[in-house]
Amino acid sequence: MKNLVLKLWHTLRKPSVHFSLGFLVVGGFIAGIIFWGGFNTALELSNTEEFCISCHEMENNPYEELKTTIHFTNRSGVRATCPDCHVPHKWTDKIARKMQASKEVWGKIFGTINTPEKFEAKRRHLAENEWTRLKANDSLECRNCHNFDYMDFTAQSTRAEEQHSTSLASGEKTCIDCHKGIAHELPDMTGVEGW
Amino acid sequence: MKLNRREFIKANAVAVAASAAGIALPASASNLITSSDMTKLKWDKAPCRFCGTGCSVNVGTMDGKVVATHGDIKSPVNKGLNCIKGYFLSKIMYGKDRLQTPLLRMTDGKYDKNGDFTPISWDQAFDVMEEKAKGTLKEKGPDGIGMFGSGQWTVQEGYAAVKLMKAGFRSNHIDPNARHCMASAVGGFMRTFGIDEPMGCYDDLEAADAFVLWGSNMAEMHPILWTRITDRRLSAPHVKVAVLSTYEHRSFDLADNGMIFTPQTDLAILNFIANYIIKTGRVNKDFVSKHTNFRLGNTDIGYGLRPEHPLEKKAKNSDASKAGGSVEIDFDEYAKFVSTYTAEYASELSSVPVDKLNKLAEMYADPKVKVTSLWTMGFNQHTRGVWANNLVYNIHLLTGKISTPGNSPFSLTGQPSACGTAREVGTFSHRLPADMVVKNPKHRAIAEKIWKLPEGTIPAKPGYHAVLQNRKLKDGELNFYWVQCNNNMQAAANINEEALPGYRNPKNFIVVSDPYPTVTAQAADLILPTAMWVEKEGVYGNAERRTQSWYQQVQAPQGAKSDMWQVVEFSKRFKMEDVWTEELLAKKPEYRGKSMYNVLYENGNVNEFPLSEIPDDRLNQESRDFGFYIQKGLFEEYASFGRGHAHDLAPYDRYHKERGLRWPVVDGKETKWRFKEGSDPYVKPGSDYDFYGKPDGKAVIFALPYEPAAEFPDAEYDLWLSTGRVIEHWHTGSMTQRVPELYKAMPDALVYMNPDDAKKRGLRRGDLVKLISRRGEVESRVETRGRNKPPRGLVFMPFFDASRLVNKLTLDATDPLSKETDYKKCAIKIEKA
Amino acid sequence: MRRSINALSKALLTVAIVTTSFIAFSGGNEVATLRDSTPIDVQKTPAPIPNVANTDVKQKRNYPMQPPLIPHKVRNYQVDLKVNKCMSCHSRNRTEESQAPMVSVTHYMNRDGNFLAEVSPRRYFCNQCHVPQRETDELVENTFVDMNTLMKEKQAAKAEKH
Repeated sequence: MKNLVLKLWHTLRKPSVHFSLGFLVVGGFIAGIIFWGGFNTALELSNTEEFCISCHEMENNPYEELKTTIHFTNRSGVRATCPDCHVPHKWTDKIARKMQASKEVWGKIFGTINTPEKFEAKRRHLAENEWTRLKANDSLECRNCHNFDYMDFTAQSTRAEEQHSTSLASGEKTCIDCHKGIAHELPDMTGVEGW
Repeated sequence: MKLNRREFIKANAVAVAASAAGIALPASASNLITSSDMTKLKWDKAPCRFCGTGCSVNVGTMDGKVVATHGDIKSPVNKGLNCIKGYFLSKIMYGKDRLQTPLLRMTDGKYDKNGDFTPISWDQAFDVMEEKAKGTLKEKGPDGIGMFGSGQWTVQEGYAAVKLMKAGFRSNHIDPNARHCMASAVGGFMRTFGIDEPMGCYDDLEAADAFVLWGSNMAEMHPILWTRITDRRLSAPHVKVAVLSTYEHRSFDLADNGMIFTPQTDLAILNFIANYIIKTGRVNKDFVSKHTNFRLGNTDIGYGLRPEHPLEKKAKNSDASKAGGSVEIDFDEYAKFVSTYTAEYASELSSVPVDKLNKLAEMYADPKVKVTSLWTMGFNQHTRGVWANNLVYNIHLLTGKISTPGNSPFSLTGQPSACGTAREVGTFSHRLPADMVVKNPKHRAIAEKIWKLPEGTIPAKPGYHAVLQNRKLKDGELNFYWVQCNNNMQAAANINEEALPGYRNPKNFIVVSDPYPTVTAQAADLILPTAMWVEKEGVYGNAERRTQSWYQQVQAPQGAKSDMWQVVEFSKRFKMEDVWTEELLAKKPEYRGKSMYNVLYENGNVNEFPLSEIPDDRLNQESRDFGFYIQKGLFEEYASFGRGHAHDLAPYDRYHKERGLRWPVVDGKETKWRFKEGSDPYVKPGSDYDFYGKPDGKAVIFALPYEPAAEFPDAEYDLWLSTGRVIEHWHTGSMTQRVPELYKAMPDALVYMNPDDAKKRGLRRGDLVKLISRRGEVESRVETRGRNKPPRGLVFMPFFDASRLVNKLTLDATDPLSKETDYKKCAIKIEKA
Repeated sequence: MRRSINALSKALLTVAIVTTSFIAFSGGNEVATLRDSTPIDVQKTPAPIPNVANTDVKQKRNYPMQPPLIPHKVRNYQVDLKVNKCMSCHSRNRTEESQAPMVSVTHYMNRDGNFLAEVSPRRYFCNQCHVPQRETDELVENTFVDMNTLMKEKQAAKAEKH
């Protein structure tokens, strides 16, 4: 094992015999672009709703629930797709989330969540993951669309205005504190604060 | 005259007392009125006017008006609760368009079928009815006369009407709208047990370990019973709830096992459960061998359509004489019969996953789990409705889970007196009181004896049932037709092809009695303004055999008369010579020259109780008009049919003191669980269980297959249509749509659609659409995110909305055994309007 | 002038409608109030789905025992085996933060009338008694009289007498 590593190290250290330095620099640059572009394209592809609901667990459970909610159909027709809420927009966060997501693909392939019953059994756990993330990032994915600075309180209902102009404004509360279950069914809420 | 003065005094008693009493406070003394003579409400009990649950409500009156209602804390049914409709009972009588005078279609002061509705007096109304009825009798005989009544009639109203029709006019063409709602349940009971109505009672709801809803959305249609199930499920964690339906609805909110099945495949699921019980060795062999028989029923029985319909011609046993036939088999033959209904087969037909089916079956099979099954229109409005009822009894009989607390196959009812009036009184075209039938000569003889009629008065042939009545109207064979206490032009299936042409057929004269100008009233020739609910005294019977009475509490609007008053008063217009044959009169010559009123209602029974038996502070308009305590007389004569025959009712006066009693009431005690020794006094001692409706005391387990629906989606009409109700409105909404709060909660009948089905057709929520069936078109608006969530391929639209008549679309296919229409299955297409 | 032309055209239109309805229904004035005088074989174009009133303004109850109406939207409010969304504001514990009215004390009573420590499960499904209202006009006026009106009338009558 050790020998193999040493051998590889030697090969890499050896100067190129057949290719010019220029070729190697330019070629390496181009290859880098292609690799990087391909990676990002693939990443972006995995960032679409089509990809999310390409597996039945997502299509039949969370996506079906989303359909009747305000984040799917509403007066202005601006709708949230899965990644809008569930994938961070910042690159580093996105990669971190993607690595986490590979676990979910694992779950899909090996049948951890392959029936509605199993999904139901995991619902609280999955929901808590999202609540924790959104709580930690001050509901960043909500705020990507719902910018506090541009909220017109006078256009809101009395109750909404009251909450948004006090608790939300002071930073005491973040979106997810009150809006749990806004796009999917809630899990068993026993013991959840505020319920 | 004297009576009128007395009524006047009563109605004004409070006002008189108030003005006569002591010193008044200066008006400005306080913003709160506190003096007890002003704030005092008069409270009295009454059963709720709506569904078959039979909640008791307290009705508060002040100055002759109902000003408040709330759930009766003393009632074991609802213990102080009401549903949203029940809480608004106070307002149902006060729609501004209450009818106050008879209206006749007239042109130039004369009756004209195409004339305009014109106010006339009651005398004029009865004149024209008399003329039309007598004309029909002359031309067609009793067969031309028909009546369509109601499971909302009081017991006395239904009973008075049955006498008028079956004994007076000698026509069996009287049927209640309960035909649309309970006939399959009746058929199931009679076929399996030989006696009608549930063996269990609501006490089962606190005793069961598991509940199974078969085609019943109790959360909306029986909300108070649902509160009892919710109470049980949430307070005892081991309790489980299974809900089966063809679309997801509010009852799924409490479901541990929710199942959406393809319409009609409930039959296969029921047989699968029986098979599962047998295959897993959980048949209660001792119970089955002692208390049951097995029979194989005839199959391919058609769909109750007109005989010339291709489906009827094709069916092997569509003839009435064959459809209900069966032959005896043994357990092994039965086991073999259901063995084809494996979980896989049932799952393939129904599209319910195998594991969910197994979970459901295991609940029934586990001997430790007490199961209560509940069903309403999903089973009953089914072209195999009687079968579905038979099949669920099979499961309970195979496991012996019956007639003991918590073990209960329980058929719910939709109308306040579907049991009390339609079934127990026997206002069906084939029935007589106390489960007797016109076909049976012994039964007719019993009725004729009690009614003091000559032998042979009651015709032996069953009359036209509800659906057949509309067909006979259309065909011009039924010419004098009286509709009371229902709204069949909105509620009957296939309005376009049958009901409307029937009512408007120039050969027919249609009378409609209703408090409000309904769709049916609009289709009539004469409309009679009717007193409702606590504007009269009456008795209702709920789904658990509970008989409840109430007193009249307010005066009806000037000019409105109760259904019973109308029937009895109208009978005065006929001499016996007008309605009976000479042959019949010869057997009872003392009836010559007498009126129907004399013979039917002044017969010594009905007029037995004097006015003095009515408490002084009670109104009772009708009795004071007729001069005797007519509600008591009718009730007591009727009760004599069932006493001593397992249908015992308590003396009338007792019901005014109780929050209802469950029959049979023997030695003053009600019966909770029938057919079980110890709880039912009619059970033979030592028999443990005794299904005494059958001669050998044994209930029948029926081998019956899955058969497809009459109509199902195809390439053109590509959607199932299911119709039904919503919690805010009761049936056709003629009462609840007039309560602003209820109207605003649910103003219009929307078509509930799966979002994918909508998208596929380029539709979105709120879109104006045309629903088209082979029979008609209706416009509505799309709802894709409402309380009902249909699967792809099925839509739901409620029938409460008078402006969107969904029954223009439905097919009048009926169960050939019960003659009840299937309102849950027909094929339609939906287009953007 | 203009107004009278309008009135005239309206009148003509009414005549036209009435005439067509006669043809459609083979005669007769239409009495079914809930159908807005439309013949049975004709259908009036369904109105758009009205919005749910979301004013948060309480409506007066018709009598003290009437369950209050819901003055706000309840779209997608989840009330099932897992959770009761309504109670996240209206339960006793939550009212200080939410400032929503607390469910009445009757809701804590079980079937036998004894008080429980939490809302009784028989009252779990709020929508069996409480409904929001849509922004639409009533179909038919209701002449129900509030007991308060009756009392006021009596009080006034009494005061006049003295």
